[in-house]
Amino acid sequence: MKAGKSIYLFVVPGLILYLIFFIYPTISALFYSFTNWDGLSTEYDFVGVSNYVEIFTADAIFRKSLVNNIEFMLFVVIFQTLFSLVFALFLTKNSKRSVFLRALYFFPTILSSVSVAFIWSYMYDPNLGLINTVMQAINLDSLALNWIGNEDIAIYSISAVQVWFHTGQMLIIFVAGLQGIPKDLYEVAKMEGANKWQTFKKVTWPLVAPAATIVVAYTTIQSFKAFDLIFAMTRGGPNYSTEILATLIYNTAFRSYRFGYASAESVIFMIVIAIITIVQMRVLRSKAT
Amino acid sequence: MNVKHMMLAVFILMTVVLGACSSESSGESDSADGSKTISFIHWRGEDKEVFDKLIEKFEKENEGIKVDMTIYPSEQYQSTAQTLIRDGEVGDVFTSFPGSQFEIMDKAGLMTDLSGEEFVSNFNESLLEAGQKDGKQWAVPYQLVFNQPVYNKGIFEELGIEIPESWEEFLAMNETLKENGYSPMAFPGADIGPGQLMNSMMMNNATDEDIFTQLENGETKLTDEWWVKTLSQFKELADKGYFQDDSLGTKHDGAIALMAQEKAAMLGSGSYAMASIKEQNPDMELGLLAPITVPADEAVYEGIHTTTFMLAVNKNSDTKDEAKKFIEFLSQPENASTYANETGQHLTVNDVNYESEVLKNTADWMDKDTRFQPRYLINSADIEKAVIASIQSVIGGTSPEDAAAEAQKVVDQFVE
Repeated sequence: MKAGKSIYLFVVPGLILYLIFFIYPTISALFYSFTNWDGLSTEYDFVGVSNYVEIFTADAIFRKSLVNNIEFMLFVVIFQTLFSLVFALFLTKNSKRSVFLRALYFFPTILSSVSVAFIWSYMYDPNLGLINTVMQAINLDSLALNWIGNEDIAIYSISAVQVWFHTGQMLIIFVAGLQGIPKDLYEVAKMEGANKWQTFKKVTWPLVAPAATIVVAYTTIQSFKAFDLIFAMTRGGPNYSTEILATLIYNTAFRSYRFGYASAESVIFMIVIAIITIVQMRVLRSKAT
Repeated sequence: MNVKHMMLAVFILMTVVLGACSSESSGESDSADGSKTISFIHWRGEDKEVFDKLIEKFEKENEGIKVDMTIYPSEQYQSTAQTLIRDGEVGDVFTSFPGSQFEIMDKAGLMTDLSGEEFVSNFNESLLEAGQKDGKQWAVPYQLVFNQPVYNKGIFEELGIEIPESWEEFLAMNETLKENGYSPMAFPGADIGPGQLMNSMMMNNATDEDIFTQLENGETKLTDEWWVKTLSQFKELADKGYFQDDSLGTKHDGAIALMAQEKAAMLGSGSYAMASIKEQNPDMELGLLAPITVPADEAVYEGIHTTTFMLAVNKNSDTKDEAKKFIEFLSQPENASTYANETGQHLTVNDVNYESEVLKNTADWMDKDTRFQPRYLINSADIEKAVIASIQSVIGGTSPEDAAAEAQKVVDQFVE
């Protein structure tokens, strides 16, 4: 059966939505990044590349937010990928217990991020929170920390929440990848006398690598855009220690009404994510092959 | 399926999508029965019950006018109200914070001039300034709050503590409380604490009310004596253990709980928290005090006030007259008294009958030498955030000089 030219019409609705909700805002952001638009007036001036120059030369908070974002991303990517892979290895079979545990681990993902932030803010409260109360009750006072109030650890405390929040989601991707590995490969490895580590290294990992690529790329992008959790838990504080690019851009646009400058920040943000994702994809794909 | 059918399918899809979008944005203020609906938007979720009651009364008294109230979380309101009300579809009556949000609303021309309206005379003239600009009354502040620590009168009486009148006395008072097993002040350092306590901590260190305008103009710096001294005093309170442990990790709700449980003797936020404390501990007697950071004879101000929850009429509204009627209704002493007593807030309205014990106990602050909240006079949100961050920084262990220098770097980015 010949499809004919009409087949191209199937992409039209999606393409229109993509143009309206992605391409148009992206081009707009690029355009406004060269202006001093305040987001309210109908008038604005073109300021050339001065927004970009200011970001790179005078904006210490942008640099701090970028560093925080990278720390946040590294913590989340490493631990979320590791935990989800380990859990997936134990829960690959479709037994009742595995299905129940997979659903249990997936459960946090369906909660709203504001609810998660509220619950964890309470858990982290240094005086009334559950974590410090338990630590003190079992005589581990030295581990009763100022989780989100200490500049040195606040970003990691929120990263841990992000890992808790999304590990179940990544677990499902890994389980799908693991279930796709032919069983006979394991039988061959067993016959060849491979131990568990050798089996994982030579059979499981190469075949689950495409799923790992998706998990790492998705987690990276998710970490850069973890706006809601941070905004609801710390609003970037204390002293900018949890400020990430997404919260900074929000504040610049909607609190300071510097939409032109916020657009320039967004463009840089987009480029940073693109570079990191491309590098990751290349590294992971080369490892996989 | 041929091309024609495909085109038709795409057309129907687009029609449905666009139709759904347009029905969202075509807000109607006139209904079929001839009544008009005004949209009232604000951020005070805790006032929903009393507003429901007042709106019901307003609708009975003003047949043909309905009020549709929408409440947004405070943080969301601060960032999105300007966008929401721009086309006049919502927020015929809207509220504004004083300071930067009011400035932005004014700059965008979103408010109707209320200068000639009769109901303006229902308000205390001296408390209307926050809603004025260029000689016109664009908004009328409704609430009067005192942004200074709340204290537990019972604990103070038990320990024989007098209200301190100097920094030395304030430190001595904190020491007495600490020695007697209390955390002197529950400080919500994770959210509103620094931005609230800074006002009373700096009011006598920089008595010029234009200090933050000067900062934004580059005429003074955060590294100057007035701010470094304020930071040093914050640090002294933190280092001596006068705030609860790990105060930068405590949010306002947590600090209120410490106060209500009588683990702390003071709460470092403001009068608006009194109703919540009383809700958790109805027997507690509360008062207000402000840290005097200078010797008694050098003190100019006794405390901090803010006139806020500023009511305004949307310039693009089709129901301006009805919107003004609603503000007039809220400004009538009887209705204002209902609001005040049920929310535990002082108001800017004249002749309000304060019946609640908390309001009666703190009514004397309306006659004291208080200063308008300095933080609201910072026009740049970036500078405001840098100022607050410097407080968190010293409480976290940084020296006042370094924290001030770090914050000044941000200020320098915005000084012309």
